[in-house]
Amino acid sequence: MEFNNFDSATDDKSNLNGDCSPPPTKQAFDMNHTKNIDDISTPSELKFDEDFDFEDPEISEKRKEIERCIQNPDSVNLEKWQQFAKSKGGLISDDYRKVVWPLLVGVTQEEMTEPPSLDDLSTHGEYNQVVLDVNRSLKRFPPGIPYEQRVALQDQLTVLILRVIIKHPDLKYYQGYHDVAITLLLVCGDRASFPLLCRLSCGPRAPLQPFMQTTMAPTQHLLNYMLPVIRRADPDVADCLEKAQVGTMFALPWYLTWFGHSLNRYSDVVRLYDYFLCAPPLFPVYVTAAIVLHRGGEVLRCDCDMAMLHCLLSRLPDDLPFEDILVTAEKLYLENDPEVLEPEVAALERREAEVRRLDEERMKRRQAAARNRRNPPARRWPSLLKALSSRRALLATATVLLGVYVYYRPELLFIRHHEDTLGEL
Amino acid sequence: MSETTSHQIPGLTQKKVFKIIVLGDSGVGKTCLTYRFCEGQFLDKSEATIGVDFRERTILIRNEEIKLQLWDTAGQERFRKSMVQHYYRNVHAVVIVYDVTKPETFHSIVSWMQEVESHGLTNSPRVLVGNKCDCGTPESRLATTYAQRAADKYGMPLFETSALLDSECDNVESIFMTLAHKLYSKQPLRVVSVEGDQSYGVVTLPRHKSRAAPPPRDSCLCS
Ligand SMILES: Nc1nc2c(ncn2[C@@H]2O[C@H](COP(=O)(O)OP(=O)(O)OP(=O)(O)O)[C@@H](O)[C@H]2O)c(=O)[nH]1
Ligand SMILES: [Mg+2]
Repeated sequence: MEFNNFDSATDDKSNLNGDCSPPPTKQAFDMNHTKNIDDISTPSELKFDEDFDFEDPEISEKRKEIERCIQNPDSVNLEKWQQFAKSKGGLISDDYRKVVWPLLVGVTQEEMTEPPSLDDLSTHGEYNQVVLDVNRSLKRFPPGIPYEQRVALQDQLTVLILRVIIKHPDLKYYQGYHDVAITLLLVCGDRASFPLLCRLSCGPRAPLQPFMQTTMAPTQHLLNYMLPVIRRADPDVADCLEKAQVGTMFALPWYLTWFGHSLNRYSDVVRLYDYFLCAPPLFPVYVTAAIVLHRGGEVLRCDCDMAMLHCLLSRLPDDLPFEDILVTAEKLYLENDPEVLEPEVAALERREAEVRRLDEERMKRRQAAARNRRNPPARRWPSLLKALSSRRALLATATVLLGVYVYYRPELLFIRHHEDTLGEL
Repeated sequence: MSETTSHQIPGLTQKKVFKIIVLGDSGVGKTCLTYRFCEGQFLDKSEATIGVDFRERTILIRNEEIKLQLWDTAGQERFRKSMVQHYYRNVHAVVIVYDVTKPETFHSIVSWMQEVESHGLTNSPRVLVGNKCDCGTPESRLATTYAQRAADKYGMPLFETSALLDSECDNVESIFMTLAHKLYSKQPLRVVSVEGDQSYGVVTLPRHKSRAAPPPRDSCLCS
């Protein structure tokens, strides 16, 4: 709790030395690149309310239609709500979302019950981790929110999370769950967000359920659908990612939090939630693929290097055209059903297992080499040395052996493979 | 993938890259420490790290530019096994952080060390960092002598510091600089980054032919 109230706005210093030095050519993401996304000391970076002077007439029309439906909800079926949520602009405003989100996942008024008090829940085993994460979620609150109000919301957030994992003890809390919970809480309030979060977390097709298992292996597996989707749309980009072995870690927070953790613009987050609340559980992975494809040019221009690519991809630009990205993702999903991709995912996982195996072998070699250095083999071969007791014989043998060795491995005299060298560091 | 070797050479950027992984329980201040080192200030709105974050900074050692890559990992147990494993590849040095106001984070060092060893990093330079020295009273903080004993046992230097205090900036600096110097002086051969190299940018070439150390296997014959 101790450092909650550091609200003073310090200068936004984008250090040249900072995160990743910007590659020389690119313009589009330079801004995002040099500036640390974690640093939101200037409130303007987190944009909550975007008051447009001008609204797209199409959206104004949609607004009216949604309002009509909300006034007369009994005459509206689920498909209609889903259509609003998915089509351009999504549900437009939080006033509508507050009503429609519960409908999208089938939460009823009766389920929206009064939450217990925080004191009743503080003995839970995950309490400390949850509080630690909730205390560090300042970035997700509207800037300028009064201190008391924010602290009250943070308590509600802790209660909300603990309520779910107490009700479903088989579900394990993960860091990032709080980012989903807070989005629901900010939009729907504490009574509605509990059944909503339960729906998303528990049940065979609940989208967050795979993240809440004892290990992250199920999540890892689902993220592995990303690369095959990318490969089918743009093999060059896929090659680049695979060659650099960048893995899927850059997209892990996106998937675990439905982008809530990683986007600076609140309006983008809730727009995506509109869609995800009525999409198949794996859909966010297709959005991930669509984002990587959208940035394909940057990926290809970037050094094909794990660190550089991880750095480039993990920081999302502020100006991603999410409406287009959602359309692309939908198209990718229709063209590449998860079931169809299964063999490709399996092949990818086999390749990765092989790389891991080689890594492990290399590590064992390193360890053995380190042991040998501490314990030179010469000392372990006294009998051999005794046999070669004559100095001359020893010298001659050594020369011959070295000659033979160099004959077969001449490269060793000049270039040593890096991994062995690094092992000595 | 191997066909690229011929045009790799022009892409050689003669900059050494040292890869450092930062470990420790959730909330001990790993993100704040790496931010302090790379950005020179306290990250006042740090967030839970999900997976692995990356930061880097270029430093000068004997007028040579060195790139320090810091991999800031998530502290929560569940991210460690399947997820973070990938990021141990080709790590050169390790920073283990604990919170001086939370003894349990200090006791976790045992399991972090096991993890380090299981990744074959027993001989890599490592440092132990007790963070949040600005917090609490001297009595409530973990005693330095106690921490020092553990550090000695594992053969690593101990730093006590605070990512929060501007006055500790130099101290944070020296944590990473110590590692960098150690890596710099220990490296027998050149570590340079190569564009397009499969093993993501680290390859070694002998600095001078004559100084190329003989392979360890025949050391008993040559010595
Ligand atoms: N007083 C004090 N607080 C600190 C210091 N360093 C970090 N903190 C606070 O401790 C909390 C955790 O810091 P982080 O850097 O996010 O912790 P972490 O180790 O990265 O945690 P995970 O990402 O969950 O693994 C934050 O609220 C920081 O503000 C410090 O030196 N002094
Ligand atoms: Mg962190």
